[in-house]
Amino acid sequence: MLLFDIVLPGLVLGGMYALIALGLTLQYGVARVMNLSYGESLVAAAFGALSLYTGLGLSPLAALLLAVPFAFLLNWLLYRFLLERLMRRGKDRSAQEIDSILVTFGVLFVIQGIMLVAFGGQYYSYSYLSIAVVVLGSTLAVNRLVALLFAAGIGIAVYIALTRTRMGTAARAIAVDANAARLVGIDVSSLSALVFACGGGLVAVGGVLISMFLTFNASMGVVFTMKALVVVIMGGVGNVMGALVAGLILGIVETAVARLVDPGLTLAATYALFLAVLLIRPTGLFGRAPS
Amino acid sequence: MFSANRRTLLRITSLTAMATALGTFTSAADAQEKIRIGYAISKTGPYAGGASITTLPNYELWVKDVNAAGGIKLGDKRLSVEVVEYDDRSSSEEAVKAIERLANQDKVDFIFAPWGTGLNLAVGPTLNRLGYPHLAVTSVTDKAPELAKRWSNATFWLGTSAQISEALAELLGKLKGEGKIGGNIAMVSVADQFGIELAVAGREAFKKAGFTLAYDKTYPLGSQDLQPLLNDAIAAKPDTFIAFSYPPDTIALTEQAQLLKFNPKIFYVGVGTAFPLFKGKFAANSDGVMGIGGWNADSPALKDYLARHKAATGKEPDRWASPITYASLQVLQQAIETVGKVDRAAVAAEIRSGTFDTIIGKVKLKDGLLQEVWSAGQWQNGEFYGLAPTSLPGARAPIMPKPQWQ
Amino acid sequence: MGRTMILGWCVGLALAAAAIAYPLYANGYYLALGISILYFTILATAWAMFSGPTRYISLATVAFFGLGAYTAAVLGETMPWPVVLLAAAVLGALVAAITGLSTLRLSGIYFVIFSFGLAELIRQLVIWYEVNVHKSVGRYLFSALTQDVLYWQLLGLMTLVFVAGWLLGRSRYGLALRAIGADETAAGHSGIDATRVKLGVFMLSSVFMSVTGAVMAPRWTYIDPSIAFNPMISFQVVIMALLGGAGSLFGPVLGVVPLVLLFEVLTATLPNHFSILLGAIFVLIVMMLPKGVIGLVETWWCAARTDGAAPVRNESGPLLVVDGVGKSFSGLRAVDQVSFEVARGEIVGIIGPNGSGKTTLLNMLSGALLPSSGTIRFGDVMINGLRPYRIARLGLARTFQLVRVMSDLTVAENVAAALLFGAAPPVSGNTTETSRRLLDAVGLGAMRDTPAGELTYIDQKRLELARALALEPRLVLLDEWLAGLNPSELETGIALIAKLRDGGMTIIMVEHVMDAIRALCSHCIVMNGGSVIARGVPDEVLSDPKVVAAYLGDDDA
Repeated sequence: MLLFDIVLPGLVLGGMYALIALGLTLQYGVARVMNLSYGESLVAAAFGALSLYTGLGLSPLAALLLAVPFAFLLNWLLYRFLLERLMRRGKDRSAQEIDSILVTFGVLFVIQGIMLVAFGGQYYSYSYLSIAVVVLGSTLAVNRLVALLFAAGIGIAVYIALTRTRMGTAARAIAVDANAARLVGIDVSSLSALVFACGGGLVAVGGVLISMFLTFNASMGVVFTMKALVVVIMGGVGNVMGALVAGLILGIVETAVARLVDPGLTLAATYALFLAVLLIRPTGLFGRAPS
Repeated sequence: MFSANRRTLLRITSLTAMATALGTFTSAADAQEKIRIGYAISKTGPYAGGASITTLPNYELWVKDVNAAGGIKLGDKRLSVEVVEYDDRSSSEEAVKAIERLANQDKVDFIFAPWGTGLNLAVGPTLNRLGYPHLAVTSVTDKAPELAKRWSNATFWLGTSAQISEALAELLGKLKGEGKIGGNIAMVSVADQFGIELAVAGREAFKKAGFTLAYDKTYPLGSQDLQPLLNDAIAAKPDTFIAFSYPPDTIALTEQAQLLKFNPKIFYVGVGTAFPLFKGKFAANSDGVMGIGGWNADSPALKDYLARHKAATGKEPDRWASPITYASLQVLQQAIETVGKVDRAAVAAEIRSGTFDTIIGKVKLKDGLLQEVWSAGQWQNGEFYGLAPTSLPGARAPIMPKPQWQ
Repeated sequence: MGRTMILGWCVGLALAAAAIAYPLYANGYYLALGISILYFTILATAWAMFSGPTRYISLATVAFFGLGAYTAAVLGETMPWPVVLLAAAVLGALVAAITGLSTLRLSGIYFVIFSFGLAELIRQLVIWYEVNVHKSVGRYLFSALTQDVLYWQLLGLMTLVFVAGWLLGRSRYGLALRAIGADETAAGHSGIDATRVKLGVFMLSSVFMSVTGAVMAPRWTYIDPSIAFNPMISFQVVIMALLGGAGSLFGPVLGVVPLVLLFEVLTATLPNHFSILLGAIFVLIVMMLPKGVIGLVETWWCAARTDGAAPVRNESGPLLVVDGVGKSFSGLRAVDQVSFEVARGEIVGIIGPNGSGKTTLLNMLSGALLPSSGTIRFGDVMINGLRPYRIARLGLARTFQLVRVMSDLTVAENVAAALLFGAAPPVSGNTTETSRRLLDAVGLGAMRDTPAGELTYIDQKRLELARALALEPRLVLLDEWLAGLNPSELETGIALIAKLRDGGMTIIMVEHVMDAIRALCSHCIVMNGGSVIARGVPDEVLSDPKVVAAYLGDDDA
């Protein structure tokens, strides 16, 4: 049925969008770092998975076990040695955001440069789990479906962690007002570092999984950063479920426009939707105004 | 005071930068002991993908081959080639600036072209004004004849988009005449200049050849999911599926077509089919897929070139613009040797008028355009053979219908 | 002083001559470098004109630049060049107006992302139009204009942008911009129509960007959406402007020159490692700036005001009539059917326990909140529903419970903002005179040039009062103005308020300091749970058992 044929592939596409945005939700929404090098980290993870797969025959799902802790560590180091200083010296939230934008802009070039030296500028692609499965009459790719399931699973897990655990609540307190959080005894800098590192781990998951079905090259980072930003902002900054829902909505809208209107307008429609959400509900679908 | 610190910092930085710049940018001009060749290529940015497959490896291979043979013959001396290389960062502005740098600061003898239509057009006027021969290989545009007339120093080597579509239409028309395919075509094209030109020319050519376009849509550059498109194309029940696509979408379309078990009699995807990446990813499933490009794989010259390319760069060339890029440089070398000195105007004129021996055979340009350009090829038994224009030497018959996906 | 000025002028003229004659002695490469520096300078300065003072980091630079480039590509071969540039300017202004009107309500990071999304949306729309209507995506623009002419056009444009920026800075709109950037709420309550000011400057900055795009287009011969709307340009412009200092007119150029040269040196010497080195240098620069990248804003001179009509004053009857005013927040009734009148020249006190709705009431009087019911008449104008800046201009001023001074502006500038945008032209002397008078009146005369953020708490309160008084108000709302003062400061404060009343000022005070209420107020009203529970002379009211119970809590509750 056409409806299923739009909604199901739309959810799968949206799952990919949500997956790539989850890390940024934590890094920007909670740790308050506008990480412009986010997309580059994603592509780096994709390259990592590619190297492990073509070099050692290691399945991407197994590669996750290596990639995630590695990314976690790298991001933690990045925060501790670079970003923490900026957060400390910024006198208000806007100064911190601007500083973090600029510094991560520099990090973007560094990561991209390393990938270019290591892999060159050409396109890379490999296939894993490129099998068809029929769900409710629509044909879906297993690898893309896996991405969707991971997105949903991780999203829910992070949501539970943020809302039901002490550490998660402390993290959310930092997101709302770091100074006040300090006053109630929360160690803002180490918790922020932890959250940022977790965001980095999520980026690695995203990168490894999408490498199973997308063609990528070292220069594609910016595209992913922008996509992730759109999802995060649309969903409400700092809101994990919001990012999940926003990603899914974007996927469905894109697929619907492609089937029902004109494939040429898909990207225009996503940006128009995003801008409309911002205008009507500036804090995003589920967000609330920062204090 | 903090602001004084920052101002001072910036002033020091700019002065240092300026000093270094002035120091770096002047270089002594050698008495002609070497031939200096310069180029700015897209090592970063969105064009890096194409440039690193088609253009850069061939530039490097040619320099290696020429120097290994002792250099370019100027009169009774052989001069080796020295290279000055920059990254244009896929930016028109940078490309133009780089040409000025190469001409004015590095004072190179010849300049190689950048990758892609946009950049070649950006540097065209400057190269024309400075008088350097402009071998615009990776620039496919319907405006090529006009440009060749406007810039007498420029030559175009991949034909026009219209030629590609028309040759494809001719091939399809022949197959239809033989009763091997029906009249329904599903066509998708990427919303970029090349895709649009191919689609516009295609619409006319297919109609003239007696086909109906049962599905005809464009999609934005950078789309990451083409399954909706494919589903609608399948619904139109075509015998022929044509996608004027770019490498990431070419691969995505092929992969998703396999997923959907879409097996039209003819499956033609655009740029990227001829890349070794395609064969590498799809292996046996690539057999039977048609795409832009092709070459006469049985030719000994090309077999030798394939081996040398692989040995020197570690990867295979693509089967479309790579051999032509290399051939154009052979033409340049022979033109320089014919003229006997570094006289750019004379070399440019010689390129236009002379006849040359290259790996793709005998080359003689007509009004600045290469005539023998493959438009459509097909993977057959692991090699991408040229199919159309059917009049070119080495044109093979297509394997029909495309074998089912495994 | 004179000699330095003359020397300065000579150097300046020599530089200008060198700049103008540049194409005549620079080779093609240096000319290309000069062009790069010029066009980034124009973009960065235009960007900083809006984004610097307002702190709205816009990533939409390339949207306007690309529109200009496309205008040139579409019209360039059929229309005379000046017409093309004019068309680009008009298109830029139009699109800026449309987007500005819809988006200038957003703030902070949302505006950043929105501006980026805007550029992408425009790009996608252009692509769609080109593909489906024009049936060709790239446009060819062959031009006989040489690099020299291009350079001179850019030089002229750069001069224009500096002149425009300088004029803007000197005018009251420049001050308004900075006030908005410092504290938009306070600026609004000082009489500044923030939206209009922001929109105007946004449009001005966009016009420069689109004309630059049109001028650069012929250089590239082939324009397609990804060439014209390249997001890297937006980012580079932001980085250059922020690094050089977006708060001042010549700041951005200080960021442009080193970065363009840096890019060049890296590209020329280490093309393969360009990215890594560039990134590392970037990171280093940002880390080394001691106070972060947002720089200090320099002092601008305020110009005298030019216009402003005095409102008609009805001298008879009560000055303020509040009738049945209420405010609900989704079911919570914060203020419920409050009515009272304030006669000219009296001080009325509003007291009540915390959470009784006093500040909400004040917010409705000053226009910060819209009343859910009831009317408020000030003089003979109905002010419920009017925006804060309008009410301020009508002569109703206020201070804030949490002191809101515009901390990056100096004391004098804080007052000047209100003077330039408030109600009537100064009765005596010009702006500087009047602000001096006001500051002396509140005891801040010696601190004119101190940034407001560096004042002590009591001095910030005095500044707030001076700013409120600068509006030459007929009615001043004091929201717990005496809170947090020690006994001697309290004495001074009470004396100050009394002096104002003696000078004919009408005052409403929300207070907890009962001594002050007793000393100053002719009558007061008591609020609890949103409604008025008592009214009358302070001594009566303060011994009313109902009032006592409200403050201390019921024994039975």
